[in-house]
Amino acid sequence: MSHLSTTRRGLMGAAVALAGTLALPRLPHAQGAPIRIGTLTPLTGAGGPYGPVMVKAIKAVVDEVNAAGGIAGRKIELVSEDDQTNPEAGVRAARKLIDVDKVVAILGTWASSVTTAVAPLCWDSKTFLCTVSGADSITALPHQGYLVRTQPNTTLQGRKFGEFCLETGGKRVFFISPQTPFQKSQFDNITLAVKAGGGATGSLIYDDKKPSYRSEVDEVLRFKPDVLILGGYQPDTTVLLRDLYRASFAGKKLAFGYSVNQKLVESLPAEVVEGIFTISPSPAEGSKAYERLTRLIGVANPDPYTTQVYDHINLVVMAMALAGEASGTAIKDNIRKVSQAKGGAKVDNALDGLKAIAARQPVDYDGASGPCDFLDSGDITDCRFRYEQVRGGKIALVKVA
Amino acid sequence: MVAYLLFALTLGGIYGLLALSLNLIWGGAGMVNLGLAGFFAVGAYASAIVTGAGAPVPVGLAAALLAGVAAGLVVTFSTLRLRDDYLAIVTLGFAEVVRLVALNERWLTNGSDGISGVPAPFKAALGIAGFNLFYLALVSGIVLVVWALLRRLDGSPFGRALKAIREDQELAGFAGKPVLRFKLQAFAVSAAVAGLAGALYGHYQTYISPDHFQPLITIYIFLAVSAGGVGRPSGALIGAYGVVFFLEATRFVAEVVPALQPVQVAALREMLVGAALILVFYLRPQGVLPERIPPAPRMS
Repeated sequence: MSHLSTTRRGLMGAAVALAGTLALPRLPHAQGAPIRIGTLTPLTGAGGPYGPVMVKAIKAVVDEVNAAGGIAGRKIELVSEDDQTNPEAGVRAARKLIDVDKVVAILGTWASSVTTAVAPLCWDSKTFLCTVSGADSITALPHQGYLVRTQPNTTLQGRKFGEFCLETGGKRVFFISPQTPFQKSQFDNITLAVKAGGGATGSLIYDDKKPSYRSEVDEVLRFKPDVLILGGYQPDTTVLLRDLYRASFAGKKLAFGYSVNQKLVESLPAEVVEGIFTISPSPAEGSKAYERLTRLIGVANPDPYTTQVYDHINLVVMAMALAGEASGTAIKDNIRKVSQAKGGAKVDNALDGLKAIAARQPVDYDGASGPCDFLDSGDITDCRFRYEQVRGGKIALVKVA
Repeated sequence: MVAYLLFALTLGGIYGLLALSLNLIWGGAGMVNLGLAGFFAVGAYASAIVTGAGAPVPVGLAAALLAGVAAGLVVTFSTLRLRDDYLAIVTLGFAEVVRLVALNERWLTNGSDGISGVPAPFKAALGIAGFNLFYLALVSGIVLVVWALLRRLDGSPFGRALKAIREDQELAGFAGKPVLRFKLQAFAVSAAVAGLAGALYGHYQTYISPDHFQPLITIYIFLAVSAGGVGRPSGALIGAYGVVFFLEATRFVAEVVPALQPVQVAALREMLVGAALILVFYLRPQGVLPERIPPAPRMS
């Protein structure tokens, strides 16, 4: 028998010793160690079309900052995980980012349920979270400041719809929608805005898989609305519009930009879709940051989420530079000092921002998604919306406001 | 890293309970339950709602068990004449019904926003690190107890009768076994265990929503039980821990592959999961710990 043979006792001892190393304290980071930032975007599942471009935009900014010397000499290291558009999988991925990679911030959570599931892990571990989810409830979480979002919440969107109805002279407004995460809040805020202008509202929830909406249209007509707001998605809105035309509905129609889009307009006869107004949250098209982003990632019309994560990474980088420290708490305490410093130098990217910070100038970042000014709750103060109208088979811009 | 390992082990335990639940009903009685995520959801919501109304966490766990039993009985009664594929489809439908109820009945479940702030027991007192350890101990303890009980059940006359029903329902009936009663009991116990797993998950994560209970989790558990060994509680348990370990390990494997975009890494992970499933069934179709069938006693 050889002296080198493995004994069970030896093996157990080795295993215990190996497991014990996990309990050793981590060595403190040397100055110049990279700063880790995590992205948690949907790369598979329902959000799959958006996530990859979002990561690309963040990566482009990180590469730029690293090429310019990083933050106070420290490079940024990006760790990307997939939330699978599922809160259960999202939590597992976030745990890995927080506990193993020790990221200072997580950027880009997309589905509201994923954001709500991941948020407690973030504030428990003092990791900063930037999200593009829209549900009202998110900023009402007890996040202690460790969360901001750049997507206008449903309250703001609902108000814009209500105000626009009044603008077009509507007093009786009806909201018809399938069951969605934002249906209730949307309607409540439309009502609030319309009632403030002396109008009245009604609403109806329908099943978005039906082949015909005759009975729903009858109910709409019974309300005698001046303005009808269509809250559905593209397939059900197509069917609904056809039935509204058959019933000779004469009022104005208002819809989300993502449902009454070019594809829908082309699939229906011109007289059915003529005159429909659409509203969508508008990226700051034409702004310097927006132009810069399109050049950086080589995409002519980046979607709103991509413009938002571009702003996330710029803000997070500048906040850490201003703090002179890389931690979630440092970002929390400094993000508003770079996003909305009074009388600060207007910057539209992190590179200019880093220079201004080095020169001890206050900074006011204006991004690709909008002005990026945050309330204490983490919501943005304002966002521009894009108002369009279908005219002669084309979607024409009415205004951006 | 330690926190991450504790998390993975806790999650492994919760998956383990689900695997034990599936093993009882599928491995034991031969009833394919594709509605596992539904029972998981029923338990999670029951406990979240009860504790949200002010009850302590143990009462919430008890409520989850009861809700699981009730849901299990409802499903068995409504599928008395169904077996095999037909039963599988109906149970899949049940899970969807649960998810849609959770999505639309805002007054009860807060709709698509989900229930956040589900109480995590002793979290304030123990601190975050202490809570993680405590919860791992709690979940592991419960897993151990449930495993021991189901193992005992497996070898008992009750377990043997279930397996007789699995092999041939009519024959078991002729042999004087009350088939319906056995099925009802087995489904109720199985659903209760799944409900308990749901409650434990909810109190650990402090947030649940209809999105949590997509069929994906059912598929993971089927993978766990198939890989571990259908019809043996120990096999199911090993399979569950193995699945969690594998799902998490693929992150690190995919990261060392050079020159991949994040979206390709995500796709690679899903391919690895698929490949593992194929490999397990190719190399060891009976699972890691296959069912043990004791020899018939000899006639003296």
